[in-house]
Amino acid sequence: MDTKKDGPLGSVMVVGGGIAGIQAALDLANTGYYVYMVEKSPAIGGVMSQLDKTFPTNDCAMCIISPKLVELGRHLNVKLLTVSEVEGIEGQAGRFTVTVKQRARYVDMEKCIACGLCAEKCPKKVDNEYNQGMSQRKAIYVKYPQAVPLKYSIDEANCIYLEKGKCRACEKLCPAGAVDFSQKDRTHNIEVGAVILSPGFQTCDAKSLVELYGHNPNVVTSLEFERLLSATGPTQGHLVRPSDHKEPKKIAWLQCVGSRDQHRKGAHSYCSGVCCMYAIKEAMVAKEHCQDPLDTAVFYMDMRTYGKDFEKYYNRARDEQGVRFIRSRVYNVEAVSGSDDLLIQYASEAGEQAENHPEIIVHQEQFDMVVLSVGVETQPETVELAKKLGVKLTEHNFAETGPFTPVSTSRPGIYVCGLFQGPKDIPFSVMEASAAACAAEIDLAPARGTQVKTRSVPPEQEISDQEPRIGVFVCNCGINIASVVDVKAVMAYAATLPNVVYSQEYLFTCSQDTQEKVKQTILEHKLNRVVVAACSPRTHEPLFQETMKDCGLNKYLFEMANIRDQDSWVHQKEPGPATDKAKDLVRMAVARAGLLKPLTEKPLVINQRALVVGGGVAGMNAALGLARQGFEAVIVEREPRLGGMSRHVSQTLEGLDVQEYVDKLTQEVKDAGIEVLVGSRLAGLSGYKGNFLSTVDTGNGTHKEITHGAVVVATGAREYKPREFGYGESDRVLTQLDLDRLIMEHPERVSKWQRVIMIQCVGSRNKDNPNCSKICCQGAVKHALRLKKMNPEIDVIVLFRDMRMYGVLEDHYTLARKEGVLFVRYDEKDQPEVTLGGSGIEIAFNDLVLGRRVSLGADAIVLGAATLAEDNEQLATMLKVPRNAEGFFIEAHAKLRPVDFASEGIYLCGTAHGPKPISESVAQAMAAAARAAAFLSNKEMTVGGVVAQVEPSLCAACLVCVRNCPYGVPRIDPEKGVSEINEALCQGCGTCVSECPAKAIRLGHYQDDQIMIKVDALLEGVV
Amino acid sequence: MIMAKPKPIQEIINVIKGFDKVLLAGCNGCVAVCEAGGLKEVEILASALRMYFANQNQTIQIDEVSLTRQCDKEYLAEIKEMVPNYGAILSIACGAGVQFMAEMYSEKPVFPGVNTNFIGVTLEKGVWSERCAACGECILASTGGICPVARCSKRMLNGPCGGSSNGKCEVSKETDCGWHLIYERLKTLGQLQRFSVPNDPKDWTTSRDGGPRKIIKEVSQA
Repeated sequence: MDTKKDGPLGSVMVVGGGIAGIQAALDLANTGYYVYMVEKSPAIGGVMSQLDKTFPTNDCAMCIISPKLVELGRHLNVKLLTVSEVEGIEGQAGRFTVTVKQRARYVDMEKCIACGLCAEKCPKKVDNEYNQGMSQRKAIYVKYPQAVPLKYSIDEANCIYLEKGKCRACEKLCPAGAVDFSQKDRTHNIEVGAVILSPGFQTCDAKSLVELYGHNPNVVTSLEFERLLSATGPTQGHLVRPSDHKEPKKIAWLQCVGSRDQHRKGAHSYCSGVCCMYAIKEAMVAKEHCQDPLDTAVFYMDMRTYGKDFEKYYNRARDEQGVRFIRSRVYNVEAVSGSDDLLIQYASEAGEQAENHPEIIVHQEQFDMVVLSVGVETQPETVELAKKLGVKLTEHNFAETGPFTPVSTSRPGIYVCGLFQGPKDIPFSVMEASAAACAAEIDLAPARGTQVKTRSVPPEQEISDQEPRIGVFVCNCGINIASVVDVKAVMAYAATLPNVVYSQEYLFTCSQDTQEKVKQTILEHKLNRVVVAACSPRTHEPLFQETMKDCGLNKYLFEMANIRDQDSWVHQKEPGPATDKAKDLVRMAVARAGLLKPLTEKPLVINQRALVVGGGVAGMNAALGLARQGFEAVIVEREPRLGGMSRHVSQTLEGLDVQEYVDKLTQEVKDAGIEVLVGSRLAGLSGYKGNFLSTVDTGNGTHKEITHGAVVVATGAREYKPREFGYGESDRVLTQLDLDRLIMEHPERVSKWQRVIMIQCVGSRNKDNPNCSKICCQGAVKHALRLKKMNPEIDVIVLFRDMRMYGVLEDHYTLARKEGVLFVRYDEKDQPEVTLGGSGIEIAFNDLVLGRRVSLGADAIVLGAATLAEDNEQLATMLKVPRNAEGFFIEAHAKLRPVDFASEGIYLCGTAHGPKPISESVAQAMAAAARAAAFLSNKEMTVGGVVAQVEPSLCAACLVCVRNCPYGVPRIDPEKGVSEINEALCQGCGTCVSECPAKAIRLGHYQDDQIMIKVDALLEGVV
Repeated sequence: MIMAKPKPIQEIINVIKGFDKVLLAGCNGCVAVCEAGGLKEVEILASALRMYFANQNQTIQIDEVSLTRQCDKEYLAEIKEMVPNYGAILSIACGAGVQFMAEMYSEKPVFPGVNTNFIGVTLEKGVWSERCAACGECILASTGGICPVARCSKRMLNGPCGGSSNGKCEVSKETDCGWHLIYERLKTLGQLQRFSVPNDPKDWTTSRDGGPRKIIKEVSQA
């Protein structure tokens, strides 16, 4: 514990172990804080772990979250408290005491080795909540196969013994003696400096919203549908409809179930922000799952594909995959009698009459299945939690935050991220998680590193002159392997292999006591290579490598044979051949182990300064986020003053004064001692992560050199100068930014206006720029409300294609309609026509509801002009970072690394990443600061290990590696005339190695001979 | 750079199938750069051949080597000790490399493993395009830096011909009309007046018409 009685504590509690909580915890733990993660269920992972694929990349959710789960589960500085809930809190920011109630798990986590025998024999079956109740689990269970911690737990409410006092079958059968019915609930009082709330959400109650749900099995929620698509779901990923297990031919998605609905009980007036995208994703993925062509239809009001590259995803679904999108309001879903099918009745936009049936003004269509795109809401227990913590909620039961302080709750020292902050998707949850980490890190900066643990290891042995002495440890994994594979035979076989001097079997090789035994064996038998024949290196290699290090062995002298996942699990019914396969796998691993070489990793000192390119709201927040943690920051700003685009915006949608905020921010930047270079440009950059050297052109031909360890790119975006609708020909045709300026400078002119017509999607969502600019709908609503306030008599008409007032922004859209602002939809192919006459402006458009052409005069036309990328080509080339076709920078991973670039040490925030409102830019900037701080706080980094190395004498300087490296690392050394790969930058992917036509590059730990000998060893078994 | 393309494997099989031991020799020069004949291609081709013959129950030993360049004697000499052990040499260097190998080791049959195509450039990774026909008398100065000998399908010295349509050549819709390119370039350079003076007939004796060619740089001679 911290000894300074008044200072803050160097630990943080994260409440909720979904993807947001995980990200916040990892950022904090990697920056020098001790983290307590409190998760109410037996395993972390949250809702993301239940998803099949994720938009807009269609990455498998489990595949991308799983490494994070493993990292967190193994982190030395994260204490995971599962089946735990926060009961109360005392103290204040910097020093809280949190009371956490940890329910009895009835399984000793130290002993449980997750063999699964208990669950196999447990007589009690209950609905499996991970599969949304569509399959069953036992009363003793793990939440899902990849769960972290991978430890069983007993569900108190369903355990026969705990209910009725008889059974204890699991206890008798557990080979590890891990079941412990004597466990009691425990209460922990934990002292932390800050708290981050990431409790997540639940989906709206479909039962109260759609009558048929719960009565007809073919009406499912979107989350249930995710499970139906998932390989670990109730149907093992075979898409069948629940009623008859036949492959569906037609599926309908009904949008806004529980969202954007002010009337139904259980529904919410806000937009849930994610359903449009997940419905598109599910429709596309469902098509991939079906043998026969699957017809998919999405019934929606507005298609809200507002995120980065989302519109392209929507276009692809509609134009390439043939997903049908039907703008409508569904008013009835009913079962078709005599079949399992469902009938959807809906009114289309124009309410047109059905063909040949003038009396019917509704449409109907039959489907095999109906998926309800259910909205998101805060769980009742989270509302309770907020009460206990004294955290204020909004009317929608989200944590109350401000647009400029997006992760601060009403209580100082308690921060929020993820869905509890408001509806949002995974990338924004992850971003906010890093932002919340940043906020906590700022509070606790003086205590950074005071509560963390470090591991000490003995010096490494020199083994290069030794013959290989290989030890093989074969794991029974309880019965997981041993029930299928003859482990003793495999062990005996291993002993006969070349270079093997020792072989042994263990019940559970990964258990703590076995690891001690392995250590002794390594030392006693002077082993210099180790092979473990057990499970997957994905989860266990780091553990065994730690053991190697503890024995003074280089961690690369280790090899695994996966005789569980790739053998006993998949060949359960063929024990004989499975044993043969295990021998093959062990022979391969041993063969490779003999060729393994120790790889050295060199330490490099990290320069603690960060360079922030761009001094707008994002850049300033990023710089402040770093400076307030004690890292030096330098801002390079092109304009003569700080503020960027926000200097042209007077207020936020919520009515907050942006100029006042930017002035305050500018002052804070000054007060924080951040060096600001205005009127400057980054002219050159050399070096690499941890040690960059930048040349800044500070104007008047003077240059300044700056050394720094990290870069934050916050170069912003610009408003499109429209070529449409007579812009530039009349001062009555304005963009939203022009209107803002006019209101500020000449309110008297504006207040005289009788009618204003706004046109949305000008320069967005078209052939030239397929993206949605995200902020123009908000801009239109904001200004419509402002105009109404200035002159309640004014007519404001907004011509839109889809109103994208996502999340709680919907409130403002609702308000605007209440205030009498008219929203009229137009079609992309049928653009409004603007005529500029001498006396005024005429605008003509087709009203799709009235079904006829309307012509109106107006005092002004306001165009919702696109937000376009700045010309960043030079910067992108300098930093070697990628941009998308529209010029926005591409983050390392659209889902889970939203503010990182693929190259470490370079981070991204604000509109340089994609259009977004100020609040989101602030969160993203804080996130970038947290990510940069996690890197800088290491003070030292190691380079080398699994990296590519060029053999100069073989290099033909052909440029193939230069052209192929996804990270832009190789370059042809101009003096030596051969390729050079910087080991600090190389990510070890091996692309260049496989592409090099002269075979001049090799990858440490994956050399040709090390791979080929495995193939040779495998084939020895065949010939 | 000289660009080459791997021969169909069946053609290679047909020429080496009668031998017990074959040395497969790559070249780390041009053909490595155009991904046709470097050490990587040597390994791929050797593996493919071994697999083929193994499937035929035929044992042919195929050994791998790659030389810095096959168009220099000193590098070819590096395999001097090895060559007697083989029945044949399969070279995946350009035609020059294959011939020089055959000259140096005249007692051994030397077979080509690639088709040598042209002198060209790398347009992008995996795409190469012809630029020079080695005519021996460069006229690029008068054609805007675009060679009609290499880029015009008819090697016309004054074009375009009637087969040029929308910038494409009648030979194929994929092929740019060389003379159209020259026209556009000269327009950019403001030198369209060059079209008013026809190019003189070319002396093709410096090209293939004059027979095999040789260059002697006297000051460089030993």
